[in-house]
Formats: sequence, C-alpha cells, structure tokens
Amino acid sequence: MRSLLHALILGLLGAGIVHIAVLFLVPEFSERDAWSRLAMASDLYKMKRLDAEAGGAPVVKSVDPMFYAAACRFDLADGLVRIRAPGDVPFWSASVYDRSGHNIYSFNDHNANSEKLDAVVLTPAQMIDVRRDLPEELQGAIFVEAPIEEGIVVVRAFVPDDSWKPIVSRFLEQSACELQDY
Amino acid sequence: MLKTAFLTLLSLAMAISLGGGSVWYALNAQDGVGAIRIGQWTAFPEIGTQDADPYSKARVAREGVLALGRAEGLSFIAERDESGAPLKRECAYTIEGGYPTARFWTLYAADKSLGVIDTGKARQAALQSYDVLRRPDNSVVITVGDRPAPGNWLLTGGFGKMYFVLTFYDTPIASSTGLSDVTLPRILKAGCHA
Repeated sequence: MRSLLHALILGLLGAGIVHIAVLFLVPEFSERDAWSRLAMASDLYKMKRLDAEAGGAPVVKSVDPMFYAAACRFDLADGLVRIRAPGDVPFWSASVYDRSGHNIYSFNDHNANSEKLDAVVLTPAQMIDVRRDLPEELQGAIFVEAPIEEGIVVVRAFVPDDSWKPIVSRFLEQSACELQDY
Repeated sequence: MLKTAFLTLLSLAMAISLGGGSVWYALNAQDGVGAIRIGQWTAFPEIGTQDADPYSKARVAREGVLALGRAEGLSFIAERDESGAPLKRECAYTIEGGYPTARFWTLYAADKSLGVIDTGKARQAALQSYDVLRRPDNSVVITVGDRPAPGNWLLTGGFGKMYFVLTFYDTPIASSTGLSDVTLPRILKAGCHA
C-alpha cells in the first residue's frame, strides 16, 4: 500500500516535469507554425497572399476580414531583404517576425517617410556595412535592424468597402520582397 | 519483482498522460495568462512578442498565428454579453458606447476559430468605423442580428457559439501604458430565436 502511494506521488511529480518539458518543446518542434505553413505554400522571397480572397484556404489564420495581407519569408544570411509596395491605400502596416512567429518590429504608413512602403530588413552587422556607404536607392527606406536570420515579413492593408478591393489587391500584388545587393 | 515493475509502469504512464494532457488542455482553453479584461472584452497585448509567457508562445507555434504588432493595432475578443451569458449566433445584441482613440476600428462576428462567420450573403459580418453612424456624443449604437436594422447593422446568422472581435488600428492603447483608463462598448442581449 505504501509503495502504491509512493508510485502515485512519483507519477504526479513526473506529470509536472513532463508538462513543463512539453510546453517548452512545442515551439521547437511545431510543424504547424506560421513559417512551416508558409514554406508549404511558397518559396523564400515570394509574397504570398494570406487572405482567403486570393483563392484557397487562408494560409495563416486570424486575419481581419476587412484586411488583405501578404507575407514573405526571408533569410538574412543571404543578404539584406527589401520590401516595397506602391502606396495608394487607406492604411497599410508591416510587421517583421522571427522564425518562430514572434513580432520583432512593426510600423504603418504614418511612420513611413512617404506614402510608399519601402523598408529594408537587416542584421546589426549588415547595418554597420550599409551605413558606411549608403546606396542612393536606399536613401528613403525604413531600416529595420533585426537580430535574426530567418524571418517573415507581413504587409497588411485595410479594405474599407468592396470598391477598394481591386485597389488593395493591386497594392499587394505589386508589393515586392527581394534580396538587395549592397 | 512484478510489483515493482507494475508500480514503475504506473508512475510513468501517469506522468506522460497527465503531463501531456494538461498541456493540450491549457493550449485549447480560450482564457489564458497575460490577458487584460475591460468589461466583457479581453485582449492579449503580449501575445506574439518575445515577452510572452510560455503558454502564449506554444499557442502561437501550434496555431501558426502572426499576431498584430504594437504599431499595427490591438484586438479585443468578447465571448459573453453583459449578463455573463455566452454569445450565440441565434441571438440579437446591441453594442453601444464610446470607443478609445484610434485611426479606425473594425468589428466582426467570429466563430470558434476566430475567423469571420459565414453569413451566406453578400454582406460580411463585419463593420468598420469609417462607415458607422454616430450619435451627437460620438458614441455608436450597433444592432447585431439576422434581421435588417436601421442605423448600424452587423449581420449575423446561423446557430452556435459566437465571438465579437474588435480591433483598433494605429492606436495609442496598444502601448501598455494606454490601457489603464480605456472604456469599451457594452454588449446587451436584445432577444433570441426560440
């Protein structure tokens, strides 16, 4: 009887340890996180629409129905990544996420220098290199220093009503996510 | 000998099933740590950031969420009306009151996965602040239901559990200091189909 009680207590203690271990391992081993889902849907440096409007089920869930969004995966080990979109929509915002989907940095059209979305994501080390000799075409860009290698950038745009749908769709279709030489 | 083996097996089975099961349960519960409650509305300002608790992090990884950033906006979710009863798709509601400062907000009726509910009609179950009518004191009254209503009408329909998702974009309340004295609209039940 004593030993049964002993085993039960040991079991409960073990359950606590397993709970904590599983909790911390879920983010490491998840195959359903945003990165994995996007990897199945599109390549690196390709803008992929997230909303269901573009056809097919939404890739990443929980997008506001009054928003269109597009995402692209990048790897800063390859070089800087530049995100551009022509801005003639009522509201756009952009977020940079790390490999596991944590929001590193976000900004919207009021934070930008102009109506256009023009941002460069780079590591602090690349920032030092770029600052030494800033290329002409990057003068107006927003520089996002992110201490990451792999990451995701998401561009969201507001669709106030049906008449804006084609305009906002075009905004996202013309958005580009490309490796930048420096 | 056999008794020792049985007891070892029992402890191991308990540890794995209870430990794994409790994580699964915790990740599926809608309520969580790090929540901020204002009236019937709940927000998770920390979700999807590096500062989030391990449960939010696991949930983000498991569900593939890409949460809104601070400069983008903040979402509030309601699952109960003011009397404490769960929101239902077959019921009509009135959402009334003022809204905190933001460039604009959107409101939509959602199902359990927090996607917008399918109304089966051309009209979406969503509203936004640029096309609502306001009262002289700048407050907004929204009628929620499957019957057309004058003023602001949020179309819903069907049966089952419902959530309201209210998102403020480009708002000072998304920074943690702004959340202390925010008031959000009340959700009142107006009636249900039998």
